[in-house]
Amino acid sequence: MIWLSSRSRIAVMVLPALVLFTAFFAYPVLYGTGYSLTDAQGFSEPRLIGLDNYATLGDDPFFWLSLKNTVIILVVSVAFLVPASFALALLMQQRIRAAGALRALLFGPAIVAPILVGLVWVFILDPRVGLLNRLLVPLGIPEIQWIGGDSLTPYSIALVFSWASIGFAMTIFYAGLQQLPGDVMEASSLDGATRWQQLLHVTVPMMRETVGIVSILLVTNVFKIFELVYMLTGGGPVHRSETLVSYMYFVTFTSQRYGSGMAIAVVVLVLGALTSLAYLVLARRGRSA
Amino acid sequence: MSTRSAPPSPATVHDRQAPAPPVGAPGVRRRRAAHRPAPSPDAERRRRLRARLVVAGFAYLIVFLVVLPILWIVLLSFQQSDQILSDPFSVRTLTLENYRDAIATLPLVQMYKNTIIIATAAVTIGTTVSFMVSFALTRMVFRRRGVQSALLLYFLAGLAVPVYVLLFPVYRLDLALGIFGTYAAVILPYAVVSIPFNTLLLTGFLRGMPGELEEAAIIDGAGLFRLCWSVVVPVMRPILATVVIFNVVYVFNEFPFVSVLINDPDLATISLAVSKFQGQYSVNYGGMMAAATLVLLPQLAIYAVLQRHVIAGLTAGAVKG
Repeated sequence: MIWLSSRSRIAVMVLPALVLFTAFFAYPVLYGTGYSLTDAQGFSEPRLIGLDNYATLGDDPFFWLSLKNTVIILVVSVAFLVPASFALALLMQQRIRAAGALRALLFGPAIVAPILVGLVWVFILDPRVGLLNRLLVPLGIPEIQWIGGDSLTPYSIALVFSWASIGFAMTIFYAGLQQLPGDVMEASSLDGATRWQQLLHVTVPMMRETVGIVSILLVTNVFKIFELVYMLTGGGPVHRSETLVSYMYFVTFTSQRYGSGMAIAVVVLVLGALTSLAYLVLARRGRSA
Repeated sequence: MSTRSAPPSPATVHDRQAPAPPVGAPGVRRRRAAHRPAPSPDAERRRRLRARLVVAGFAYLIVFLVVLPILWIVLLSFQQSDQILSDPFSVRTLTLENYRDAIATLPLVQMYKNTIIIATAAVTIGTTVSFMVSFALTRMVFRRRGVQSALLLYFLAGLAVPVYVLLFPVYRLDLALGIFGTYAAVILPYAVVSIPFNTLLLTGFLRGMPGELEEAAIIDGAGLFRLCWSVVVPVMRPILATVVIFNVVYVFNEFPFVSVLINDPDLATISLAVSKFQGQYSVNYGGMMAAATLVLLPQLAIYAVLQRHVIAGLTAGAVKG
């Protein structure tokens, strides 16, 4: 390759990506971080105010509420999705007619635009026109405010997120199960392990790395939940159902407090970077193992 | 059958409830057979069939629950709007009126045109520059090795950045460049945010690909462009397909960027148009659902055809091989 590696040839290959990435990715990250240190809002000239935005954020109840909602969605959906999609992957390994089609159907929600997922679920969760209450109220159960009430929205968002992600998570587990070394499974059943023992003592330990990867991917995706909030409640009532990113969007673009908005963005950035770091450590350990 | 004292016949060793057969099973089996006659093969087969039916039924039930929201939307799309409020489950009052409404009010062709233009441009740019830089970072010989790995790290670091952080800065950048509100306003960020993941996949693939073909081509006198276009790209077709599919799905479904960077309804992508449905159709739920179905079905149809590739594309990176 040395023959074609003149300085100019390398430049031709590297520069387009380097210039674009620097202009539209690296520079914006620095720009946003810088803006978080100013009092920029509306059309006024921004002034440096140090870490004031972060201090104000600490006193902002809506920020803490949006963080709390994000954590609720995270805990509920990861705690549900990891075991559920793992079990589903095991189920899909059984001999079932048209299993391939079933797997494709389960994956389906993952390709639907999140904004459309939100719209679809409005017609499931809406207290008056939604399918859920349409089925429950005739059974004598009082009308439940799945969305738009005081407290249930984050749980409902976790439900919708789980719906959209379960096939995706199942697919990763399924692929992991397919790659388990067959001889180990065979050896354990020859040694007289029951299926249940085999699952607990052979399959699950060997899938530990996949469990980690799925969990972290789900965490990363939870931090990106925005469209669901936008469609289901718009963050309301009075910011009760915001997530971190939807609140960041509101502060930045609707209320035009750019400085505060960017402070929230930096918080999101730090959380995202930490999650990615965890992923990296895990993936590296998996490769060396 | 499942008590500890009666070890199972070999036929049931693989069954869930069956206890572990002790080591040296054949001897035990003989002893056991003397105690009690083995279940008739017929009963055994029926029992296994029943177990399989239960498992299958359970799987079908779960899939049905996952598909249910989509079926509900499709049902509502054929329902008269006042019927949706009173008795949405009735199938006697189905109508096509909502579709007439939706087609009349929804600029479907325009939405698809916008989305396809943006996706084509963004994915072409993103994939091309990612390929070029990945090739340079894995195959070309840098005078200083450190520069090469530092560059790779620089691009891969982008994987850790949630795109939401970029929304406002890119909005400002688009304004400063005078491209705000045009196709280019979203094409460029879409192309750029794909670079980290593309580079991860492409450099990964290139590292595992032997370089002999390339060397042969160079000895035959191929230039850099010819080498890439006629030798490297053809070999990389599977991974390039994965990259393209991943990015096309991303652009089709993306909402935050487009909601900030495009304000002209004539340039709206599918996602942006869908986000306006609730305002646009207000309480015309039937019309809204017909519009949603018109957006959803083509996407699902394409997915049905390209299913295997789409699944591979969207789980790339998480799934080895």
